Amino acid sequence: MMRETEVLELQSETLDQIYAHAKVEFPDECCGIILSDETQEFVRECRNIQNERHAEDPDTYPRNARTAYLIDPNDLIRVHKESETKDRPIKAFYHSHPNHDAYFSEKDKADATAWDEPVYPGAAYVVVSVYDREVKTTKAFAWNEDDTDFVEVPIHAKRDA
Amino acid sequence: MAVTVRIPTPLRRLTQNQPEVEAEGDTIEALIENLEANYPGIKERICDESGNIRRFVNIYLNDEDIRFLDGNATAVKDGDEISVIPAIAGGSSDDERD
Repeated sequence: MMRETEVLELQSETLDQIYAHAKVEFPDECCGIILSDETQEFVRECRNIQNERHAEDPDTYPRNARTAYLIDPNDLIRVHKESETKDRPIKAFYHSHPNHDAYFSEKDKADATAWDEPVYPGAAYVVVSVYDREVKTTKAFAWNEDDTDFVEVPIHAKRDA
Repeated sequence: MAVTVRIPTPLRRLTQNQPEVEAEGDTIEALIENLEANYPGIKERICDESGNIRRFVNIYLNDEDIRFLDGNATAVKDGDEISVIPAIAGGSSDDERD
């Protein structure tokens, strides 16, 4: 049976903002959250605290921010509150892979899953590949109920009318 | 002594799909025990075998991460709002590097 292909529609300004963020943070991973209401998207850059956690506890956090991200819990609650109080659902999370391609790694999958279920089944995960401060490719992944796995979904950039 | 607890989507199966539930207790630890009594299975998801909050679970008292308060022993009072929000994390893989 054919399944309708899901598409992640993003405003081109949103993509421009996350590309800029990925370049600024290079060679570390950037991370953030995209909220949306019916008319607009809101990019909320978050702090990647992977370096701090790695410095405090390298056994538990063997990676630093070059190959991993962890959204600052303070940013996470702030964006959650905005999402709830202003009725702007979480559309997607984004992060960059500096000097790596845009794939959804095993770590990305494991971290997007909790208790064997997707943490945010309705949100997409956008991964930006950035080599030497230039964006190479961008891909999006979302939970697919039929496959019970994260699958790639095409990104459609749309310009504002 | 009742506080409101915000439940993350993947745990709502245990709370009959309620995004928010009431719980009682003077500390975060007591609240989790009270939640477990009403929604069996929730404690083992939030805490590890030693009773510590799992690494990928953030618990907030109002808007404060309890890691920066007193952790499990953080005192709660009537009317407080507790949020349970799984961490957002990930990273690339060296073995997938081209």
